[in-house]
Amino acid sequence: MDFLPRDCFLSYVSIGHREPASQLINTKPFIGNLIVMTTTLASSSLTAEYVNPVIFATKNVFEMMLDCTPTRKGLRLKTENSQTHEISAVIGISGNAAGTVVVSLSKAAACEVLKRMVGIEADDITNDVCDAVGELTNMIAGQAKAQLAKYELSISIPNVVSGMNHVVHFPSNVQPMVLEFDSEIGPLTIEVAFSAIS
Amino acid sequence: MKVLLVDDSGTMRTIQKRCLQKLNVEDVIEAEDGVQALMLFEAGQFDVVLSDWNMPNMDGLTLLKEIRQRNKTIPVIMITTEAERARVVLAIQAGVSDYLVKPFTPDGLKEKLERWVASPA
Repeated sequence: MDFLPRDCFLSYVSIGHREPASQLINTKPFIGNLIVMTTTLASSSLTAEYVNPVIFATKNVFEMMLDCTPTRKGLRLKTENSQTHEISAVIGISGNAAGTVVVSLSKAAACEVLKRMVGIEADDITNDVCDAVGELTNMIAGQAKAQLAKYELSISIPNVVSGMNHVVHFPSNVQPMVLEFDSEIGPLTIEVAFSAIS
Repeated sequence: MKVLLVDDSGTMRTIQKRCLQKLNVEDVIEAEDGVQALMLFEAGQFDVVLSDWNMPNMDGLTLLKEIRQRNKTIPVIMITTEAERARVVLAIQAGVSDYLVKPFTPDGLKEKLERWVASPA
């Protein structure tokens, strides 16, 4: 079983060396706002703890699977009801914390995800496009989960929702955060909401 | 070389199938979940199984355990987002042969598959 130490080591080293969580939280101006905003949340430490793994996972998955590097535009509390973009993949997270991760993309960006992953052209939201966006989200949630190992989390199979102004409902006891990114393939948002289970 | 490729994502099956084709492996049978995979496994002779972990109906870990009850030696490679050490240990205890964490680069996938399938051209 020689692969165990190497694969695990590489996985965690790449997480630590490329952009350590401490750098993520210290070098970006809007993160300062995060700390203020999260004081309104039930668990600000948990919020800061999960945001950085999601940011890192998003960058890493986009670089490895789509050959593009998303840049962060901002971070805010979610106040609107409907999604900004036309397609969303939703993954539920359970374990010693409960949460939801929603990745939303424009139709054009979602079609580009499919093209970059498997070379298939699409100009509408087909089953293939939904599958590619769902798998991309699965990887983001999975990699973020790996950095939160102490919570012993499990992730659900992704569900994909599409249509203009579609609505993703979060549990009423959590305040979702919205991470906004720009990328070569278009803008995207990632909404995350976590609550600790006591 | 006959490969059973198990993943609920058609996108991931396509990526892996293309990689296998580059390694001159054309005989690839696809399954979308563990239940379908187990039926195919019982009905045919395979040389390697590539399996996702998180799938509907029957997950990859359960599939691995079922396969090991029937065949102790066939290489079973998990290709999954499950990166935590505790999960990898579970897979090892169940008899996994190798493990690749998603996301992966094309070279990372090729390198992993090369170890278990026919030699590249």
